[in-house]
Amino acid sequence: MTMSESGGTYIDNFPAEARVVRSALYSSFLALALGGLFGIIQTLHRTDIYRFIESDMYYTVLTAHGVFLVVTFTIFFLVGVFTWAVTTSLDRGVEDIRFTWLWYGLMTIGTVMAAAAILAGFTDSIDMSADVLFTFYAPLQAHWLFYLGLVVFVVGTWLAGADWFRSWWAWKQENPDERIPLPTFMVLTTMLMWYIATIGIAVSILVFLLPWSLGIIDSVNPTLTRTLFWFWGHPVVYFWLLPAYMMWYVMLPKISGGKLFSDPLARVVFILFLLLSTPVGIHHQYLDPGIAEGFKFIAMTNTMFLLLPSLLTAFTVVASMEHGARQRGGTGYFGWLKALPWRDPVFAGMALAGLMFAAGGFSGMINAGMNINYLVHNTLWVPGHFHLTVGTASALTFMAATYWLLPQLTGKALWNRSVALVQVVLWFLGMTFMSNSMHRAGLLGIPRRTAEPQYQGFEFEAGVGSVAELDFQLALGGALLAISIVLFLANVVGTAFNGRSDDLPANEFAETLSGPEDSPQVLDNLKLWTAIAVVLVILAYSFPLMSIVDRGGLYGPDISPFPVSIETLSLLAFTLEQYTTAAIATTGEFVQTTLTGVIR
Amino acid sequence: MKIHTYEKLWLGAAMVLIVALIATITYGAVGLGISMVDDEEETIDPDALDEDDRFNDPRVEHVGENEYEAYVVARTFMYQPDPIEVPANSEVTFYVTSTDVIHSFSVVGTNINTMVIPGEVSSMTAEFDEPGEYGVVCNEYCGSGHHTMEGQLHVVPEDEFDMTELEVEGDDEVAEDDEVTLNVSVENGMLDDLETTIEAEIGEETFEEDVTVEGDSTYETTITVDAADLGEGDHDWSVTVDDYEDSGTVTVVDDLEDDGGDDDE
Amino acid sequence: MRVSKEALLIILAFIAPIIVELRTVLAWANIELTVLESVVLGLAIVALVLVWAFFPEDESSSETPERQLSNGD
Repeated sequence: MTMSESGGTYIDNFPAEARVVRSALYSSFLALALGGLFGIIQTLHRTDIYRFIESDMYYTVLTAHGVFLVVTFTIFFLVGVFTWAVTTSLDRGVEDIRFTWLWYGLMTIGTVMAAAAILAGFTDSIDMSADVLFTFYAPLQAHWLFYLGLVVFVVGTWLAGADWFRSWWAWKQENPDERIPLPTFMVLTTMLMWYIATIGIAVSILVFLLPWSLGIIDSVNPTLTRTLFWFWGHPVVYFWLLPAYMMWYVMLPKISGGKLFSDPLARVVFILFLLLSTPVGIHHQYLDPGIAEGFKFIAMTNTMFLLLPSLLTAFTVVASMEHGARQRGGTGYFGWLKALPWRDPVFAGMALAGLMFAAGGFSGMINAGMNINYLVHNTLWVPGHFHLTVGTASALTFMAATYWLLPQLTGKALWNRSVALVQVVLWFLGMTFMSNSMHRAGLLGIPRRTAEPQYQGFEFEAGVGSVAELDFQLALGGALLAISIVLFLANVVGTAFNGRSDDLPANEFAETLSGPEDSPQVLDNLKLWTAIAVVLVILAYSFPLMSIVDRGGLYGPDISPFPVSIETLSLLAFTLEQYTTAAIATTGEFVQTTLTGVIR
Repeated sequence: MKIHTYEKLWLGAAMVLIVALIATITYGAVGLGISMVDDEEETIDPDALDEDDRFNDPRVEHVGENEYEAYVVARTFMYQPDPIEVPANSEVTFYVTSTDVIHSFSVVGTNINTMVIPGEVSSMTAEFDEPGEYGVVCNEYCGSGHHTMEGQLHVVPEDEFDMTELEVEGDDEVAEDDEVTLNVSVENGMLDDLETTIEAEIGEETFEEDVTVEGDSTYETTITVDAADLGEGDHDWSVTVDDYEDSGTVTVVDDLEDDGGDDDE
Repeated sequence: MRVSKEALLIILAFIAPIIVELRTVLAWANIELTVLESVVLGLAIVALVLVWAFFPEDESSSETPERQLSNGD
């Protein structure tokens, strides 16, 4: 299943698209540079190794670090790599390149707006700030420009999704009997998840936070906006992760020298993410008062089942790597590991990222455990966990993938492969130190998101070693990561200034051992899976949301809740009923089709 | 759908792991009785905490044998009361609320950890077997002084713990032909009776009274001494109940400046 | 060289987490190391790996072919 008949690089086949993808990637790397800079400032500040900002400014730095890295860096990379995946796997350009530039432009404008609001916090001369951190929990309030920027950014991503669906629909007209190519399938399911997830943030900002920051409404219900945040806040972590998964599925097997083990299972995995990513957000609120234990339990169960697609991915990725290694002459139970192309930074980066993700997965299981979570909630353990997931599984995979993509997008050879290899290994090392010490510190009860975790009245006690050692380890890790980012950016800039090369591999992705023909057609029925996903979200969220509105009022305790909330409740109930009926009808229809398909 | 045998095995093992994880957590909740912060508490108006019986005076209350309730208010950037004092070998239910933004109430090194959301009351019950001192931190970002928000929880040995409060009101200045009075009130916050001795000293004079203060009540008494017996000048006084002491000074003057002699018979 | 430079880099990277947490693991066995001791131990392990990697496999094999290999790919 390879693509371009021409066999050229991406820029040869899609020069116009290559420009957009390149722009998206460069935007992403700019955010990485800024976010990384803020990251090292923070690391040195909170460990009390070098402090040159006031501690209250730490929170401006932290907001910028969070927003630039987990929103701008990751999502700009995502739109770039998804555009590459759709155009490559459908072997057709986008339908209208002006539309593509439009969504890229919206995302950029949104970023600039939010960034302006955040960075204005550094100076008192502008009466604007957004020191609300990435989670912007009300009643903490940011300048309205921050919220509006996020809205514009998200609308940009919605249009990006529309662009890819448009390509797929056009392709389907011409290829009515073909299965959706795997990379496109992954892009489409991820975007469907995103459309469902962003409902939460859209309602939270448009109905509550933006009017509130503009002074149109007086108050908000903090539990409600917090719950709506996590409605989006958990699936967004899969939005960061799924582009990395996609690269592990469609790129890593090829780089390893083999084929993807199973196309059907890859589809199943992405469907599971579409279904289960959203109805789990309440697991971030295990410690919140005002939410019944039962709702927390449901979220916990869903979360545990969400382990399944990740565990399946672990299997498929390792099996594909082993296949590649054996094609390269590897033998033995573990001996094949030696035959893998470790000197290739694309491979080494992705493999190391996958390995760290396994560790992150284990600490994630702890977080998901409803009662054990009380020990670690909001301690440094949590950033320790997500620096392994978004900070390594996603970030390191993106960087490794860049070493393959950048030559495709520019037609220029990578500036320096040895520097690239050192860079990915440094990331692995730095993250080992940093996330290890963060996990350890979290177990001692040291809180996250704190400028100075050094208190007057008591001291944290370490079981083995000391808090000072953990601080040193954390700072050392942070420093290695900062160096790694510098090396990465140097390679990107060096490549951009290289001359054109004729000696580049063709733009292809991995073939499969077991192709789509081995899987039932129903896997490609996106309407069915979307309908089920919507039903699951309604089941998981309708009652908690109704109960929160009922308790605290739609607009908080200040405004008397009754006329609004009763209306809303019945409206919610009505919507719920409608959706369920519609979903059941669609499900029935599709089950029927599937059954006839299978029987035949 | 074609699934490789190894894949099936892996799939099976993954499902076993997932179900086992859910089972252990369910066991923790049902078998061990680890309960979660939930919606059992009524909502509260965060702007009117001073009208609320529990939170107008943040404190610890004795509610049953070895059972205590702590009403804690979190606000930028402090906790009330601070320190929270409870005895060892007790079961304490914490009720925590916020007056402003979202905080947390996290007792370092324990699983007493909850979000504190304005408008909601978080309740958690914990058992303290041993004496100890714990730090309390806010681990939810609450504004520019977030890192200074801390408190303390003292678990004191059972035999050193009481909820006695001694308050004494004494005159500052008394005429020589008048009486020096000390109004003593001993409050017993525990539910059990408190048997103790009120000891007082005014100048050279000493008094002693054995009292029984009933549970959850206040005993009041007045100690008087003729000013003439003390003589003109400054006299230190002190009142002691167990480890509590209140003291002051009274001045006996020859004659009050502008007294018409009508303030006493 | 017994392994390529790149492979050596990866091996050393994999050893890092082990060295970092060796002290904790040993503490379970009631062997308490100071920071200095564990740094020395870590360096000793790294030195051992380096000696293993650079020590020629046997006299006859010269380093030249490996060099070329490591520059290849």
